[in-house]
Amino acid sequence: MSRTATLVALGMLVAGCATGGVEGPGEDVDGPGEGAASAEAPATEAAADEAASAGFGDCDEAPNTCNEGPRADGGSMTWVLNTRPGSWLAISPEGGSVYTLQALHGIYPHTGQWEPGGDEYRFNLDLLAAEPHLVSEDPFTFEFYLREDAVWSDGTPITADDFIVTWKMSTSEAEGHCVGCRPRSSVAADAAASVEGSADGRTVVITLKEGEADPEWIGWFSAHSIQGGIVPAHLAAEQGFDVDDPEQLGQYFEWLNETMPTFSGGPYILVEGDLENQIIKEPNPNWYGDDAATLDTLIMRIIDDEGSWLPALANREIHGGSPPQFNEDIVRQLQERTDVYTRVGPGPAWEHLSFNLDNPWFQDVELRRAIFTAIDTDDIAQRTVGGGFPDVQPRTNHIFSSTSPHHIDVVTPTGQGSGDVDAALAMLESAGYELDGDTLRRDGEQVGPFRLRSTSTTVRNTTMELVQATLARLGIAATIETTDDLGGMLGGGDYDIAQFGWSGSPFFANGANQFWHSESGSNFGGYANPEVDELATRAANAASLEDAAEYANQAAAIVADEAYVLPIMDSPVYLFVADEYVNVRDNPSSSLRGVYNNEEWGLAAQ
Amino acid sequence: MVAYTARRLIAAVPVLLAASLLCFVLIDIAGDPLADLRLADPPVPEETIEAAERHLYRDRSVVERYVLWTTGINGRGDIGLLQGRFGPSVRGPAFDIGEQIRDRFLVTLRLVVIALVMAIGLAVLTGVFSAMRQYSTVDYLLTFIGFLCLAMPTFWLAALIKEGGVWVNQQVGHHIFYTIGAASADTRAFTAWESFTDAAAHLFLPTMALMLTGYAQLSRYQRTSMLEVLDSDYIRLARAKGLRNGIVMRRHALRTALIPMVTLSALLVAGTIDGAILIERVFQWRGLGDFFVQAVSANDTYAVMGWLMLSGAIVVVANLVADLLYAVLDPRIRYE
Repeated sequence: MSRTATLVALGMLVAGCATGGVEGPGEDVDGPGEGAASAEAPATEAAADEAASAGFGDCDEAPNTCNEGPRADGGSMTWVLNTRPGSWLAISPEGGSVYTLQALHGIYPHTGQWEPGGDEYRFNLDLLAAEPHLVSEDPFTFEFYLREDAVWSDGTPITADDFIVTWKMSTSEAEGHCVGCRPRSSVAADAAASVEGSADGRTVVITLKEGEADPEWIGWFSAHSIQGGIVPAHLAAEQGFDVDDPEQLGQYFEWLNETMPTFSGGPYILVEGDLENQIIKEPNPNWYGDDAATLDTLIMRIIDDEGSWLPALANREIHGGSPPQFNEDIVRQLQERTDVYTRVGPGPAWEHLSFNLDNPWFQDVELRRAIFTAIDTDDIAQRTVGGGFPDVQPRTNHIFSSTSPHHIDVVTPTGQGSGDVDAALAMLESAGYELDGDTLRRDGEQVGPFRLRSTSTTVRNTTMELVQATLARLGIAATIETTDDLGGMLGGGDYDIAQFGWSGSPFFANGANQFWHSESGSNFGGYANPEVDELATRAANAASLEDAAEYANQAAAIVADEAYVLPIMDSPVYLFVADEYVNVRDNPSSSLRGVYNNEEWGLAAQ
Repeated sequence: MVAYTARRLIAAVPVLLAASLLCFVLIDIAGDPLADLRLADPPVPEETIEAAERHLYRDRSVVERYVLWTTGINGRGDIGLLQGRFGPSVRGPAFDIGEQIRDRFLVTLRLVVIALVMAIGLAVLTGVFSAMRQYSTVDYLLTFIGFLCLAMPTFWLAALIKEGGVWVNQQVGHHIFYTIGAASADTRAFTAWESFTDAAAHLFLPTMALMLTGYAQLSRYQRTSMLEVLDSDYIRLARAKGLRNGIVMRRHALRTALIPMVTLSALLVAGTIDGAILIERVFQWRGLGDFFVQAVSANDTYAVMGWLMLSGAIVVVANLVADLLYAVLDPRIRYE
């Protein structure tokens, strides 16, 4: 029966009215999806006879290549975005989210990105003629070399001018390059004295200001930068803006922010879409890279109700997604499906507990140490996410996840997170505290009660309850108060102990500076230690990643010893994809997650 | 009646104003829409935050903002309800609240009108039938279905209907029903007919869910109303005079029994538009319900106010229509 006829028949049944049946188009439910190519389509890749690693079974061993396989030509795929992009320009505050970056990945050309394993940075040698080069450490100068055949979709060459415009748009107004640009971050861009072109615009020379250094210079204009790549300069003139005029550059910024890009310098081009429903990508006909996208259409569909994904997946209205939040119920249901590959693993964000040192009780480092020692992070991890992710491990470094080559365990040696309540009580006793019945006191004064605060999620609520129970065993009363306004709560210091998450990244150099520097706006608990300030500053301005990692680890060790922040675990994330697609895998090293290689996605060749 | 209508509409103005003031203050104190921006990592330049504050008029006091939102005086031409401008959105300069409300109202209306028409039609039929066959098996069955639909949370009912739609698709091997959105994602190659059937396939399940929630309530009212009428003296008199049962039912009983249904339906229009929030959420329709959820999530004061004003106006008008319909249907009621 056709779709329309069935609709009418059911409508008659419900409404009790009679009308004639009509014919309409029907689509296969069990096929490869809306508009998908035939399963018999010929394989086009030379590697068609190579062994494919279907599914995510080997992702632990081979995170960069799992689910790899030859692709068939054509087909369509619908990928879920679970939040709306705020605008068309990721530099702007409203557009500055992972969702904008994910939606537009493959449109704006970038210089490189981290591979899923987190230990390999892959330069985009479709755009770059060679790997970039550090020319000088004083002044800190580096160069990117562009391929001569790299062009925008209208045939205009991609040159240093595009990098210059992107840089200027990312600077603060005080730098004098742009009036009206509203970058969501200007820290990196403001550090540059100049971005210039040479060799007919095929070499981009970036020189930092005197005294500035950037150990992560390879990440300039990368997929991880605030724009996720570079914007075109030549379109400004077409739209009547002079990019050398700061005010008109600001107007061009707003134009890019408000206008769906119909240009592209990447493997895909946007053909239709809006910021509310979906964005439709097709292969860029002027793509200059080695490997072209094989999907006819890639639809990034916005579905912000997680409960809708499973029926939509079963109905093949969507084919995959990599949401930022872990949902055990959804994961379990996905894992029960035999036509879907599901991968659960540690994600880029990590959960932690943080003291507010404005509370006089927490000025005492011994009390902080005792509390963190009594808390069992392994137990918290298992009880909160262990059901869907049994391999979850406590996090043992604030800056580096356990898969990072720079990782050093700075937490375990302190005994914190061990759940050793007896040891904690002994520490308290040594520090002059006494357990009076069920109440901890010092000099006769009751310790606490304290306010435990976080946003209300299943994971955080459970964590708070476990922490509350642990504190009770130490004789400390605590109340749990959730908030809908985490930013306001943290910024206003409206908590005693807070649980929240930080986003991690293989780009780490500024992490210590941001978390713990006494003048950082993100150091919500008011921690201040001149030695940590010094180390954090050195990490941010180190000449190499190795040096930066050493300073960051030293700072983390001090912070761990002083029991300011207790890492709990890397928040798990999951990715799911219908089993007819290949080359889809998670990338926890990137906020792009599964989308990081969307130009490689395709229907599996038969 | 014209004078009465005018009086009611004029009286509604201070009601709406008072409601708007209360809502504005409540929304304003609920949270800072720029809180995330202020605490962003890495930090957002101060001038970017200041630009956002200026954009949202948050460089002015709450009182100034309310007056500005109402009148538009001393604004930048993007605000002033009396001038038909709803104000700037947290979602940036490109997000036009008025345009969004207009477009989304039409989306919601499509859902609500069809669901209501079906709900009313079904409720009248089953309510009358149940009353005529009181305590019969069919009456018990319809009563059970009615209470079931009343008792089930809307989101759960919608989820079950969605699962049912997927199951039907799998059984027949075709996409008869869709579970997300008001249309397929890529409709570029569709003919007009294909677009129509595609829209119908997306419309069916959410309409069914919304219809059942409305139907459950209405059918109980209709049954009760019909039972009261059937038990009245004038019906007994009509029968005693020898009128045929069909005429008694159609001309005497049903017309009277429909009076509460008509007025209830007018009120239900307003309630259903609000009630569509959950349905739109579950089926991912980009209607007014979705607009409201997004606006609240983002602390988007002017967007929430726009939705509340529209919702408030609909409630006021629906109440007025209900009152006027009383007079139309019941000759004993007259508005002088």
